Amino acid sequence: MVSGTDLAFWTLAAIAIVSGWRVFRTDSMVRSAFLLLLSFIAVGLIMLLLRAPYLGVATIFMMGVEMMVMALFMVMFMMNPAGLNPMNMVHQERFAIVAGVLAFAGLAAAVWLTDLPHHPLVAGRPVIRELGMELLGRSMLIFETAGVTLLATMIGTVVLSSRSGRFGPADAGSLPPTMTPGGMPAGRIPKKRSGGHGGHGGHAPSAASPTAGEPAHGHANDHPHQPPEHHA
Amino acid sequence: MPWLGTLVLLGGSVVFVAVIDSLAFALIAQRPPVNLMRDALLAPWRAVAVSLVRQQNRTEHPDRLNWALAPALYLALAGIGLAVVPLAPGVAVIDAPTTVVLWGAVETLTVIAVFLHGWSANAPLPLIGAYRYAAMGLPIMLLSMFVLIGTALPAQSLSVVDIVASQHDVWNVLRQPLGLFLFLLLGLSLSLRGPFDYADSADLAGGTAGEVSGAARLTWQLARHAMLVAFAAMASSAFLGGYLGPVRAGPWWLALKMLVLITLLVGAGHSLARLPPSRMLTVLWTVLLPLAFLDLAQAGVVALW
Amino acid sequence: MSLQAILLVAAALIGLGLYGALSQKSFVMLLMGLELMLNGVLLIVVGCWSRSTDGDPKGQLLAIIVMAVMAVDMAIGFALVTAVYRKRQVDVIEGLTTMKH
Repeated sequence: MVSGTDLAFWTLAAIAIVSGWRVFRTDSMVRSAFLLLLSFIAVGLIMLLLRAPYLGVATIFMMGVEMMVMALFMVMFMMNPAGLNPMNMVHQERFAIVAGVLAFAGLAAAVWLTDLPHHPLVAGRPVIRELGMELLGRSMLIFETAGVTLLATMIGTVVLSSRSGRFGPADAGSLPPTMTPGGMPAGRIPKKRSGGHGGHGGHAPSAASPTAGEPAHGHANDHPHQPPEHHA
Repeated sequence: MPWLGTLVLLGGSVVFVAVIDSLAFALIAQRPPVNLMRDALLAPWRAVAVSLVRQQNRTEHPDRLNWALAPALYLALAGIGLAVVPLAPGVAVIDAPTTVVLWGAVETLTVIAVFLHGWSANAPLPLIGAYRYAAMGLPIMLLSMFVLIGTALPAQSLSVVDIVASQHDVWNVLRQPLGLFLFLLLGLSLSLRGPFDYADSADLAGGTAGEVSGAARLTWQLARHAMLVAFAAMASSAFLGGYLGPVRAGPWWLALKMLVLITLLVGAGHSLARLPPSRMLTVLWTVLLPLAFLDLAQAGVVALW
Repeated sequence: MSLQAILLVAAALIGLGLYGALSQKSFVMLLMGLELMLNGVLLIVVGCWSRSTDGDPKGQLLAIIVMAVMAVDMAIGFALVTAVYRKRQVDVIEGLTTMKH
């Protein structure tokens, strides 16, 4: 006999686990950030089933913001955020699989072998009111400590990520990584500004350009570089 | 029964939004007043018909799944947002003890829906719209939550049903006058309108919706209107007493207040100018967010007193 | 929906998160692995609170603390990613061979 709650629980659990697994299996980074959000939403809904209405909705609320920021950072830093050209972004995979499976097996064994106490939540308990009273009553010091920790985090984040610092800009002398050990830095290296447009091959004036063939053509190097026009 | 009432409210108000939108546009464009009303009444249906016969646009390598899901998610969020609003004492589709937090989750996920809509087209202008919206949507959501906590204080509850009930004697707009103003900014942002339309604006040739046409575009526009309706319902319930009125409390008062707020927001959307994104971000974080703190502190003092 | 079942699901999330954190090259993906593990931890805390404490509010308090930990680890993680990117223009873990600036 399967009750509706059980059915809902196992469906949500399947969503949480499958989307949590797909996070590391999709090429598009934005998709993987929002798959993780899906996993969090499923866990939040399980919390609602467990009669934690505040915690469940707050998880969804908070993780929505976090994963939005996560997606922005993905696009900002990753080489291939949309996954349009698949590339291998995995290392030490076998070790990682073994570690993950071992962690699951160990925790599952612990769950299975432990005689878990069974004192379920009493129906009709005002859990939200109790949480508020706990946060701003007996456990206020703990709660406030969390608040101060968050403040310290904000300051630390600004200090760590700001470009300017006491010893000059954080990115002074920074070079892209090399493709081979000891080789040349990959990618563009910032050069001193010179008149020419070295590097830009095929800079023939476009026939579609109204100024093509005019005397000013000889000064093409003095104009700001315009990329060749693309016609769909 | 609250299901049916909410659906009727949603359908009627969405049509009202569409009509008032084209009316405002015609008035500002100073069309000759001969057939003004008839044109405004017909314009939304004409737009629907045009959208339905137009073929779907395609871009190179779009994220198809998310492109299809984003308008549906936006519409569903508008539905959830409207569902937490009570139509009469104790009558709401979603009557849970934490519906204000649920509304906050709706706001957050709206940012994600709009971002996904712009991202998945795989085209530059929609992507810029998506980025701009993510940058604006998050701080506006923050300040709206402070304002909403201010409405939860006198009710001593996180449920919208209780928040409306707590305004029996005095509306929240009198308890925290600044709150309604700050909350209305969120409405413009949630429904991508006027001074807060950083996602779908004309300077980006339609922004996140710039590459969609046909039924997908229709769904997106419908969702924008539905979100404005849900917002108007929430704003009337949180600040203007919702279904409460001088005589015979009931859904008609809610509908009346929603119509007033919708007209106000549509008018503001058509007539107010938009700041450049960088300046708007500065205003949001350095002026409006501190104002929201101030508002919350003031609401707290009033609630204690 | 017994406590065992909830804890098993949480264990699966933690195992997946550990796999992700160890196997991904990118810093941001590593953070996603950590978040997935904390997701499992959150489920454990709420499950135990709901099923074996009579609903003691201290259990909910612990869940709030776990959420604060999530926020802190995300914020500091992203700040570190930004700092590393400024210095070395990489977002993969292999780019870091020293803890020095």
